[in-house]
Amino acid sequence: MELNKLDVISTFIYNIVLYNIPLLYGTVGEIVVEKSGSLNLGVEGIMAVGAIFGYVIGCYTNSLLVGILTAFAMGALMGLLFAALTVSLQANQNITGLTLTTFGLGVYFFVGNAIKSVGWPTMSNYSNIKNGFADLHIPLLSDIPIIGKGLFSHNILVYLGIAIAVCMWCYLKHTTPGLRLRAVGENPGSADSVGINIKRYKYLHIMLGCGIMGIGGYYMGLNMSGSFNSACWINGYGWIAVALVIFANWSPALAILGTFVFGFFNTLRVSGSSLAIAFPEALGWLAKVPTQLYQALPFIITALVLFFSSISKRKNSGLPAALGLNYFREER
Amino acid sequence: MGIHIVKRDACPLWKKALFYLAAVAAALVVCGILLLAMGVNPLTYYSRMFTMGMVGNKIAYKTFENYLNVFVPLALTSVALSLAFKMRFWNIGGEGQFIVGAIAASTVALKLKPPIVVALNNSEFSFSVSFGPILSELITLVLMCLAAMLAAGLYGALVAALKVKFGTNETLLTLMLNYVALYTLTFLGDKKADWNFFLQEESARPVFQSFSDTAAFPRIMLGKFGLNICVILTLIIGVLVFVYLRYTKRGYEINVVGDSAGTAHYAGMKVNRIVLRTVFLSACLIGLAAAFKMGTTGVLSTTITGDVGWTGIIVAWLAQLNTAAIFVVSALISMLHYGSVQANTMFSNVDSSFANMLQGVILFLVLTADFFIRFRIVRTKKGGNQ
Repeated sequence: MELNKLDVISTFIYNIVLYNIPLLYGTVGEIVVEKSGSLNLGVEGIMAVGAIFGYVIGCYTNSLLVGILTAFAMGALMGLLFAALTVSLQANQNITGLTLTTFGLGVYFFVGNAIKSVGWPTMSNYSNIKNGFADLHIPLLSDIPIIGKGLFSHNILVYLGIAIAVCMWCYLKHTTPGLRLRAVGENPGSADSVGINIKRYKYLHIMLGCGIMGIGGYYMGLNMSGSFNSACWINGYGWIAVALVIFANWSPALAILGTFVFGFFNTLRVSGSSLAIAFPEALGWLAKVPTQLYQALPFIITALVLFFSSISKRKNSGLPAALGLNYFREER
Repeated sequence: MGIHIVKRDACPLWKKALFYLAAVAAALVVCGILLLAMGVNPLTYYSRMFTMGMVGNKIAYKTFENYLNVFVPLALTSVALSLAFKMRFWNIGGEGQFIVGAIAASTVALKLKPPIVVALNNSEFSFSVSFGPILSELITLVLMCLAAMLAAGLYGALVAALKVKFGTNETLLTLMLNYVALYTLTFLGDKKADWNFFLQEESARPVFQSFSDTAAFPRIMLGKFGLNICVILTLIIGVLVFVYLRYTKRGYEINVVGDSAGTAHYAGMKVNRIVLRTVFLSACLIGLAAAFKMGTTGVLSTTITGDVGWTGIIVAWLAQLNTAAIFVVSALISMLHYGSVQANTMFSNVDSSFANMLQGVILFLVLTADFFIRFRIVRTKKGGNQ
């Protein structure tokens, strides 16, 4: 019985990681984009496009790597569209981003249904995809009681997501291009005057960020075992990622923490009842909390973060000063 | 030789129109090629979509009624959003404000039960008895509209207040509040409880309670076709907003604040008050759109918005925030959405999400056209001299 309770906790931690890593991809991608001064509200659509193409092409080639690369490339392509419209053609970022979401979800269902009409690839039929997405146990670490299974026994995309977040943190914080990127997002006019190629920086980082989001979408597709139905795989995670960027104060390292905080609530929604059964005295009340509260919490928390950070006018806020503004050289 | 981008001073209207038409045509061609790739004849598909399957349809009047029911909330929401956008206030909380309005309208509709009409055989009372329900219907509908407008208006004005007071980012905050409203609505649709009057009492499963007939907007019957009074009201509001923006002092203030808040301030305008007032008005109209929708469908649902909060943003922008153009564009976009659902019955392998894709491509190309309207590309010789 005691062992059973530990299992419940262990599974809970495991699920927090398993189901919420796509948030990390979306968030880190959006941080990279926003650090270049572009507010991209198309995360949901970009993840959806990355997901559908990554999944289908990954299955057809029976290769997880091809799937990841396709998802990245399709995400980056959506980023290229966003960059072309907002950086070169001076289109409004909010409008372009929102349309990217509508468009991306349209493409997702259009392509998905078109493929479904000729035969949907089932994930279990493609051994390399199925085995590639299976859990990898990290020796020693995964043997730690309770947290071992929860944290160190996951599929390869979980480790990749963490690695990308750490890399992006180092990149933004400790490298010259990272510093320049932040300058572009803070004050493109000054960055331009010291010889930084604004357009190139914006294009490259918007595409990089959107590519990362695309992989996150692919992850969600795989985690749903690739079953295609009327609900989109992304299921609002793109919007939570937009919120999480603010919560993480535009830092990829804090995004990892933020993913687990938001993921904690997200997972309580699913596993709250099993926790309540395992610990009736301490956690019995969990079964009474409406699931919608857990779903709304990320947005409530973020709204509060926005509110309090605007009151206190923090000096160390990671919000890029030129976020959402287009840069037109003639108007410098 | 290099290229150089220069702002245009002005672009004649016919040229603008030509650019936009070319963009829409190009979008239709691009998506037509996709249809061809799927083995669907784009011409048959488009004709089915744009006629919404009404040709040769015996109940075409019904289709047109349904189409107008899609059109009304979208047009009204887009007009409302354009008010805020004119001031560069990024209200992307249309979804949330619509939901809050819908909940408020439903509360009124469900709480205001029709008065019990005592049937008396006394002839003296016959007049008042027959008059009773009509009056209560009017009162119910007016109260529904007012409640929805107030609730949605306050939901929007809250963000505007934070924006003018603390500089809170309104784009992100309205976005977050959309989801707070959405999950509140799904909670109401899911929680069986004594206090929850939104749900049917008889049903064991959670099902939204339908309104009584007194909470339905009347229709003007033109033969078999019933013209919902909301259509007329929406057109009237459109004209009023047009006049408000163009011919009143307050409308002028909105334009000045949109061009430059600094200028408005130096001209002695109370910018904060103008922003608050306009955003409240904008959200109020979205609430009204929600009340219209509620009084037409007669039952709440978790997908009550029909994404008008999102689509409205795109419509307002496509129409360049011009009130008259918004009506034309929302008529077209509603046609796209409703038509693709109709076309889906004939072309089963083309999902109705085709409309979303087409709408996206149209906007991308219109944004591109917009660039060529605002800027011109000049070739420069080496050395910088033109």
